[in-house]
Amino acid sequence: MKSRRVKDIEAYRNPLAAEWRQETVEYVKMAATPMAMQPTAYIRNSRANMLHGQVSELQVASVHDGETLALALSWEGVAPPGRDFPDAVAVTFPVRGNPILMLMGSKNDSIHILQWKAGKGVRSLLANGIGLSDKGPELKIASRAEEDGKRWRVVITRVLGQGANVAPVVPGHETKIGFAVWSGINDERAGLKSFSLDWIPFAVDA
Amino acid sequence: MSKKQVAMVMDLNKCIGCHTCSIACKTLWTRREGMKHMWWNTVNTQPGEGSPHGWENMGGGFRDGEPQRGFRPSEADFGTAWDFNHDEVFHGGNEDAFLHANYGEWNSGENWKGPNWDEDLGGGEYPNSYYFYLPRICNHCTHPACLEACPRKAIEKREEDGIVLINEDRCSGYRFCQEACPYKKIYFNETLEVSQKCIFCFPRIDEGVTTACSRQCPGRVRFVGYLDDPDGPIYKLVHEHKVALPLHAEYGTQPNVFYVPPMSSPKMDAEGNPTDESRIPLEYLESLFGPRVKEVLDKIESERQRVASGEESELMDLLISRKWLDMFGPFTKHPRDVVSASPVRIVDPAQTAKVDVVRIMDIRSKS
Ligand code: SF4
Ligand code: SF4
Repeated sequence: MKSRRVKDIEAYRNPLAAEWRQETVEYVKMAATPMAMQPTAYIRNSRANMLHGQVSELQVASVHDGETLALALSWEGVAPPGRDFPDAVAVTFPVRGNPILMLMGSKNDSIHILQWKAGKGVRSLLANGIGLSDKGPELKIASRAEEDGKRWRVVITRVLGQGANVAPVVPGHETKIGFAVWSGINDERAGLKSFSLDWIPFAVDA
Repeated sequence: MSKKQVAMVMDLNKCIGCHTCSIACKTLWTRREGMKHMWWNTVNTQPGEGSPHGWENMGGGFRDGEPQRGFRPSEADFGTAWDFNHDEVFHGGNEDAFLHANYGEWNSGENWKGPNWDEDLGGGEYPNSYYFYLPRICNHCTHPACLEACPRKAIEKREEDGIVLINEDRCSGYRFCQEACPYKKIYFNETLEVSQKCIFCFPRIDEGVTTACSRQCPGRVRFVGYLDDPDGPIYKLVHEHKVALPLHAEYGTQPNVFYVPPMSSPKMDAEGNPTDESRIPLEYLESLFGPRVKEVLDKIESERQRVASGEESELMDLLISRKWLDMFGPFTKHPRDVVSASPVRIVDPAQTAKVDVVRIMDIRSKS
């Protein structure tokens, strides 16, 4: 996957912008998180006979303008209003070391998460293992979302560069990217989600 | 497991259903934003649907040590408080106006099920109708299903006294605890997006003051102390005299609230004469408090007889609790006497997030 350099990011903040139609779309295969990896016996037992993580494909495109990275994320499945848990999507980058995506990193190998939730926008989180995500580093992030009752189209933007716990995303360098989607209709939250299984190489144009 | 365990015994023979306990708790702890539907202490009429409505059928807890699937009660399940037309009656100028609640249609309207909508309905047929009150709080279980379900380890059981607390800073509002707690004693705060529940008045316990619900109870229903303190009232009632039983022990969480089951008036026959049968069906009490109910009721009956015939009974003395403060084990201090020594007191009132703590301490001094 790559992030193409464009002159100005502004128009791309709108998920419905015509500009996005010229960009290459990657079709990321998503799969349900394994039941055995759910962190508590209650979650494993109570969900044993229920399906989760049914979103099997996430469409992703990305551009940047040397200062800001924009990711356009689109998937099928919009929960009707009034559900207990919102539809959500997350983009993950390794901060340092070699974190395992499926384990959500470890003590020394952190994962930086930008999580968007319907109705709430995007926030920065830092994960150091399953169930061990906390408030992440402060950085300039923003999101805009559109849905047509069937499909979500969400643009998440973040400033390029790196910082203490800010995962490095630097023009001219390659990093790795991962994704997760939670379906509100299915009461998904925490580890109940679909995810991209492993890291995907992510090249940021110089 | 914690070193010690605080516990409560409630003597259901003395509960008059006055709700002073619920109000004491509400006043102290659940007046902040997003807490309107919260009654960490509830008092329901049995048999009945309880709060939240139908909680005994909402799953959770353990079977053979395995966590069981449960359901999240909604705010509506806890019951929407009724509003009354006081303005119309008192200031409306219409002398035919009468006081009524806004529950909508009788027996079916959307607000019909207020928090205690089936109060005093009970069971049985006249002249053998019956009911009793069942106050409930979080049981601060020894095997807390809520704690074990949380993927964020946001719930802790205090080492020093076994009080189960939700750390709101860690809570992400996932509500697995609500599903897993078989007593449905966890509430979700929609405004703060965190789960909240009874805290066993830990700031008071820390200062040697008993819980607000127990101290305020005019029925002298509630004993408080350490389960493992042989000199305290809890140990005596639970382990020595063995007259206090857990509610739904089969849920497998080892609750630390125990109940002295209610004695019953005799059933009447067709002529209106008392029979040997008790009006509250034994099977019903056993469905709540387990197979030892009969043994406990027999024991209380025989101790009553002893006292009636002029003998002494430590058990009866305990249950009667002539000396109020004897009910509270080591937690006998007056809130007024500890408030000045409390570290909470020095919180800067300018810190809005902590203002409630200050207010709580002020209220506490009057409780
Ligand atoms: S009663 Fe429910 S909320 Fe309270 S400790 Fe037990 S399982 Fe947890
Ligand atoms: S205050 Fe005491 S008597 Fe009144 S309802 Fe509560 S437990 Fe029962």
